[in-house]
Amino acid sequence: MTSDVATLGHEETGIAGRPVVVQEGHISRGISNPILGMLLFITSEVMFFSGLFAAYFSTRAQNAANGGWPPKAFEHTLNPLSLILVATVILITSSFTCQFAVWSIRRGDRTGFIRNISITFVLGIAFLVLQAYDYSLLFGEGMTMGSGPFGTTYFTLTGFHGAHVFGGVLMLGVILYRGMAGQFSAKHHDAIEAVSLYWHFVDVVWIILFTVLYLL
Amino acid sequence: MATHVLTPATTAYRSGLYEWLTTTDHKKIGIMYVINSFLFFLIGGFFALGVRAELAQPGLQIFKDEHVYNEFFSIHATVMIFLFIIPMLAGLGNYIVPLQIGAPDMAFPRINALSFWMLPMGGILLLAGFLASGGAAAAGWTSYPPLSEVGPTKSPGSGQDLWILSIILIGTSSILGSINFLVTIFKMRAPGMTLFRMPIMVWTMLVTSVLVLMATPVITSALVMLFIDRNLGGTFFDPFHGGNAVLYQNVFWFYSHPAVYVMVLPAMGIVSEVLPVFSRKPLFGYKAFIFATAGIGALGFSVWAHHMFTTGQVFLPFFSLMTFLIAVPTGVKMFNWCFTMFRGKLTLSTPMIFAIGFLTMFLIGGINGAFSAAVPVDFALHDTYWVVAHLHYVLFGGSVFGVFAGLYYWFPKMTGRLLNEGLGKLHFVLMIVGFNLTFFPMHILGLEGMPRRIADYASDAGWNDLNLAASIGGFIIGISILPFIWNVFISLRTGAIAGDDPWEGNTLEWATSSPPPPYNFDRLPEIRSERPVFDARHPHLRHKPGELADEMGPA
Amino acid sequence: MSSPPRRGLAPEAIVAGGVVVLLVALVAAVFVSGIGQNLYPPDAATSQAKDTRGLYDIVFALAIAIFLAVEGLIIWSIIRYRRKPGDDELPPQTHGNNLVEIIWTVIPTVIVLYLFAISYNTLNTVNAVSDAPDIRVHAVAMQFVWKFEYLDGSGNVMATQTVPYYATTSADCAQASMTNAGCGGMALPVGKKIQITLDSPDVIHAWYVPRFLFKRDVIPGQTNKFEFTIDPGDAGQAFRGQCAELCGTGHRTMLFTVLGLSSPDYDTWLKSLVEITNRTPPPVPSGAATLQLTAQNIQFDKTSLEAPANQPFVIDFKNMDPPGVMHNVQIRQSDGTTVIADQPTIDGGNEAQYQYQGLAPGTYEFICIVHPSIMHGTLTVP
Repeated sequence: MTSDVATLGHEETGIAGRPVVVQEGHISRGISNPILGMLLFITSEVMFFSGLFAAYFSTRAQNAANGGWPPKAFEHTLNPLSLILVATVILITSSFTCQFAVWSIRRGDRTGFIRNISITFVLGIAFLVLQAYDYSLLFGEGMTMGSGPFGTTYFTLTGFHGAHVFGGVLMLGVILYRGMAGQFSAKHHDAIEAVSLYWHFVDVVWIILFTVLYLL
Repeated sequence: MATHVLTPATTAYRSGLYEWLTTTDHKKIGIMYVINSFLFFLIGGFFALGVRAELAQPGLQIFKDEHVYNEFFSIHATVMIFLFIIPMLAGLGNYIVPLQIGAPDMAFPRINALSFWMLPMGGILLLAGFLASGGAAAAGWTSYPPLSEVGPTKSPGSGQDLWILSIILIGTSSILGSINFLVTIFKMRAPGMTLFRMPIMVWTMLVTSVLVLMATPVITSALVMLFIDRNLGGTFFDPFHGGNAVLYQNVFWFYSHPAVYVMVLPAMGIVSEVLPVFSRKPLFGYKAFIFATAGIGALGFSVWAHHMFTTGQVFLPFFSLMTFLIAVPTGVKMFNWCFTMFRGKLTLSTPMIFAIGFLTMFLIGGINGAFSAAVPVDFALHDTYWVVAHLHYVLFGGSVFGVFAGLYYWFPKMTGRLLNEGLGKLHFVLMIVGFNLTFFPMHILGLEGMPRRIADYASDAGWNDLNLAASIGGFIIGISILPFIWNVFISLRTGAIAGDDPWEGNTLEWATSSPPPPYNFDRLPEIRSERPVFDARHPHLRHKPGELADEMGPA
Repeated sequence: MSSPPRRGLAPEAIVAGGVVVLLVALVAAVFVSGIGQNLYPPDAATSQAKDTRGLYDIVFALAIAIFLAVEGLIIWSIIRYRRKPGDDELPPQTHGNNLVEIIWTVIPTVIVLYLFAISYNTLNTVNAVSDAPDIRVHAVAMQFVWKFEYLDGSGNVMATQTVPYYATTSADCAQASMTNAGCGGMALPVGKKIQITLDSPDVIHAWYVPRFLFKRDVIPGQTNKFEFTIDPGDAGQAFRGQCAELCGTGHRTMLFTVLGLSSPDYDTWLKSLVEITNRTPPPVPSGAATLQLTAQNIQFDKTSLEAPANQPFVIDFKNMDPPGVMHNVQIRQSDGTTVIADQPTIDGGNEAQYQYQGLAPGTYEFICIVHPSIMHGTLTVP
């Protein structure tokens, strides 16, 4: 018999005299189920954004060949050295504070966790507010979802990213609440690990988006 | 078996409506998936019969307004793909995978329930299109823009939008299900069950789940972009405003090609369960099978543009080569199945007959697909009835026959009762005759030049007799379902009691009662190969899989 | 380890055998009834189609061979390896055979690589496009009309042939293709290199001629191009063509014909088409009653018209839709079948004075040939 049985259960005699393992409890080995689930979910989200990015690059290449990209009307609307840079810095900072929160709870430091996750939560909301304000500025310059391929691709990509940030903010709110209710400990905080993975994903997507839309 | 046997007559729990509506038990959820999918099979079949009734003779007899005809074939395909075959296989997998790996349930039971309930909701959204002004979606299940955009002669009206929302909802259900399957399979196997001792059904569900996870979000992105074009002034696919109509096709088929493997791999898994049991020997080449399945999954992502050969926008040699190559692992599987039966001792019970039906019909579908891989031949055959023949030989002749093999095989486990063999065989005979009568003539129609998706055809094109034959065949298929429904109905009440293991099965689901208790297993047999129940029954024959072996001995 | 001899056939064997016989009978019936030869494409009419047909034949031969071999193995296994009732001994528990796995991986790989090589070869022939074709035609596919523009050496349009409506038989189609007001199509000289460019102002269509074993999508926003040479032996033949990409409610109606003509006949045909294209319409007879009718948003602005009995009359027809959307006004019997008077279609942004002969009193239907299901009305002649 393998060591599985020794730690997991006891042996009995089953049919035809062959051994049968009767399980008692289980070992949690390796990555936990909720965290594996979140990683797989993030994989599916990466594929979703891949589809949108593929459309972006294809549209951009086609229009660059025909009429220039960005089009004349919107040549200077996407300026990286503007409010959007502030928003970017805020989001990147929030990833750091999120990771501090994870390290805190791994150490059992509940207060540190709540402090760091609250900051992350606030920074996330700040990002969304800045994004919304930036949208209003762009609308003012005539750049909208319907103003042509430049606008359509920009608002689709950043819009879905913003929706994912919003979802992440909701999740941060939930673990903030649960943390304040004392539901987490050093040994049991799968939800925090999972949410932090999601939050980092959202940040990485933004870094790529910012680079592609504003810098390239 | 040292399991406490729960006979149907003494089932410890009785399930009321509330129990079914709120259950998170994978077995109940699996059964609901099966029932819901079967209902949509009938609905999709109704639309198909509408199409065949119109095409039986030249002239517009039924659909004076061609738009409604276009709605019929569009919704037929959409229902069959997204509401029948994919969820039916997911449901059978849902029921059987935890049992086959010796787990008490899926990894995320509540998400499992959510995944299921999104399906009837998605179905209602889709069919609600018929009540919308402008009717249901009518641009084909592929919904290519610009036809699927808004405009008086395109797809005005909300039917197309409802179609988009419904597929997004159903796709989300699929993705959540795939996450569930992957975590369950990787993390919840019973001790002793290494990856290379898992039943092939579990392996195919694993590869299928990887495909669903990676590919489905891409069609979500395509549909989201189409929705934006239709409703928010977007220009992704509008060629006259900086967009590209072929972009949609690329993003769409990047999902929809792997989707066909999602639609067939679990059915192949079912066949790989049934053939060894009813041949009384192991699956020939278990490991080769796994590599072939993984190979199909991987290659499946590299062939999507073979649906677009005639667009003039595709790097033809690459996609032609990859399409030809994917025939190789498929052939490996076919030969392995054949050699499972070869020199076996075959019992031709209904599950086995349907599995053999799968082999014979899927072979034809695979062969006629190879014609389209040769690009110049595809120039002649694309968008004709040849393709309709091909897709139905693989999806109906393949997947549907595989589904019925699974239903007849696992019905006793799910309900504790055996289905009637006579009715099962009647179902099979009617179905295989009707199926071939419907779809074989379509090879000829396609070669002769009959395009797809036409409500009517010229009376002197020479297509009248074959269309009439196909329509008669279609109605025979419809009739063939009746013995099955009757069989289920009477067997639930008065079928013979199945017991734990009516088929002398190989895998763990047969090591517990029929139906299993809520917690699945009291105790498990030792797991040292891919056939733990067989091993327990024949302790002298235990072998490591993959070894060259010809061992015989007293049972 | 031998098995005791079989005594009589089990009932399942009879059923299985019956199904097999039935399937074999169906396949045989297909062949015996004469449609067996229809498992091949129709006779190739272009040199490119002949190449494609050669490729098809090779693929077909391999397909039949594989089909017979594998189906044969399956059916033989079912018959030979039936378990006899009461036989509880297990057969040899063969798990696999690595050598055999390698064999049936390598050999199919070689076969498919061969198929790829020959199809790649044929593709290069079929897809070849040159700089100096003999004839250039610009085919425009619309909902639900084909328009064929014959181009001269510099790419200017010499003559236009429009294909506006659905004929119930392809014989009608071929016969009418000699005039501008029929379902018609394009006439082309045999033995010459023909280059077709494809465009669409609305949705995706496809140009498909089964006897050419060829189709190509017509995609708005891009111009596809292909070439072919019609076999000289096919002079005088009409080849049916049809749109092969779902394009809306009128998809089934987008038929056209390709008429292969000898070079002298083609020159005559083209000359008359150029004349028809450049022809100015006759002046309107003075005093004739004039009805007003407008088409916009794929709708007529009136669904009932009245015309005087037994007198020629004129319909002043304005097409206010964008260019690319064609309309006309055709008059039929009230049951919608027999055509009384047809008119050429006009493009969006144009106006036409349609003249009609006098009609007997009664009720008639008028339709737009391109959009008959949504553009129709009643013409009353009191």
